[in-house]
Amino acid sequence: MTRATILVVEDEADIRRFLRSSLGAEGYRVVESPNGRRGTLDAGMHRPDLAIVDLGLPDFDGVEVIRRIREWSPMPIVVLSARVQERAKIEALDAGADDYVTKPFGVGELLARVRAALRHATRPAGKALSIGEVAIDFEKRRADRNGTPVHLTPVEFRLLACLAQHLDMVVTHRQLLTEVWGPTHVSDTHYLRVYMKQLREKLEADPVQPKHLLTETGVGYRLVSET
Amino acid sequence: MGYAWAAGAIVASTLVGLAMTPRFDLVNIAMVYLLAVVLIALRFARGPTIAASVLGVAAFDYFFVHPAGTFHVDDPQYLLTFGMMLAVGLIVSHLTEAVRKRARAQAALALEAETERVRSALLASISHDLRTPLAVISGASSSLAQRGERLGADERRALALDIFARSNEMAELVDKVLQMTRLESSAMQLERDWDSLGEIAGSVLRRLRERLANHLVMVELPAGLPLVRVDTTLIEQVLTNLMENAARHTPPRTLIRLRAQHLGGELRVSVEDFGPGLAAGDLERVFDKFNHGAAGGVGLGLSICRAIVSLHQGRIWAEALPGGGSAFRFTLPVETPPAIPAEALAR
Repeated sequence: MTRATILVVEDEADIRRFLRSSLGAEGYRVVESPNGRRGTLDAGMHRPDLAIVDLGLPDFDGVEVIRRIREWSPMPIVVLSARVQERAKIEALDAGADDYVTKPFGVGELLARVRAALRHATRPAGKALSIGEVAIDFEKRRADRNGTPVHLTPVEFRLLACLAQHLDMVVTHRQLLTEVWGPTHVSDTHYLRVYMKQLREKLEADPVQPKHLLTETGVGYRLVSET
Repeated sequence: MGYAWAAGAIVASTLVGLAMTPRFDLVNIAMVYLLAVVLIALRFARGPTIAASVLGVAAFDYFFVHPAGTFHVDDPQYLLTFGMMLAVGLIVSHLTEAVRKRARAQAALALEAETERVRSALLASISHDLRTPLAVISGASSSLAQRGERLGADERRALALDIFARSNEMAELVDKVLQMTRLESSAMQLERDWDSLGEIAGSVLRRLRERLANHLVMVELPAGLPLVRVDTTLIEQVLTNLMENAARHTPPRTLIRLRAQHLGGELRVSVEDFGPGLAAGDLERVFDKFNHGAAGGVGLGLSICRAIVSLHQGRIWAEALPGGGSAFRFTLPVETPPAIPAEALAR
């Protein structure tokens, strides 16, 4: 397998350095851009397999970089955000970013996000999926838990399928509501709360402390395959 | 407002004056007007005082000075009376204004001193709490950088993990300070949305997994708890602080119980621990800023909780539990969420 190229758009030189060394140690080729303008150009020039974009860039907004890349490329994008940038983070995800990591972060977390996003880009969701005790068959629209069929309503199944399509990646409230209930329901967050609870009760051993159907506070949900 | 009072005072004085004539001298009636002017000067600013003086002079002239019923003045000595009345009014108004100004300045000064005291206490606290992790980070990283090759792999790893843990600690502290500052600014806006307490509790427990690993955590959330309309990030912070506090102030292997109840139109959330408990006098004080607990820490946690809960129109308080231990409870108002369309349950 050829080495994947990762574009890092980040203004802080120290953060670029540790990203370069840890991504390099994992075998990725790294292209670095110190600002948004440069990053947008580099994305076109180097055609990376994935971009890591900081939301606090000096020249223009990281969200703008994402929009410009999205005009021509579906490459996976992971954003780096500070804790005070809650809203910018959601904006970035709705503008087309695939996932995020909040600063300060451990490199393990970042690498997990990068791997999930690359996997998603190269190997789209299959017809069946097995997560912990649960097996899902998308074609037959059925789910089994420990070999026993679990009855899911059509809406519950659509919600689960939508999360599974982005396995291990975050899906925002807006994305879920649009895909499951339609664009007129983007602010009906209470639908999600109620249906996620039902899904967890049917699929998780401990619905309050789920292992796979995780809440991303204030952002959305994430279905994780490994714990 | 002041002008209305001025007019009222002069009308009243005129009525009193009319009642006094003809048994009293005109000089005494002038005194009644003077009293009205002084009272207005004491209570209101310069404008109403001048108005009262002028009105008083006019009314005195019209109703009492010969010839009555006209503004004509026969005896020029009343001009002096008018002048005096105006002068006394202005002087009193000037004096009260000065006194008022000084009182305001003193109050502002006292507030500033209090703010300053709080701010320097905060700074002292923060720098104290930052210094320990900073010392660990600079010590551990310099030994990695300068002596790294002489250390075993295990030692290097331990040092690096220390740096990681301590920098996370610092990041959390900085977040708390920022959050407190934001909560105290009047521009703070809640971003409310429907959320379930079960989900909030779930993400808090996940986030605190490592810190709660040495305690027994029991979660009691009855089925059918209503959704609440809250700023999720903030309420998650409240619960995080309460759980963290419970873990920090109680011995390992003791129970921490997280409960929620739907009681009389409110959701009541409790974090109960079975540690040494709080002294009666501390039940209220723990929510004050920089109240250092026994284990140190800036002590911003609970004051952040209080600020967040009151922004949500809820209450927060601490209780001593019978038999030791303490309970921290807060309430959130419950509203009815819009209906969710029923789904055909057929497959």
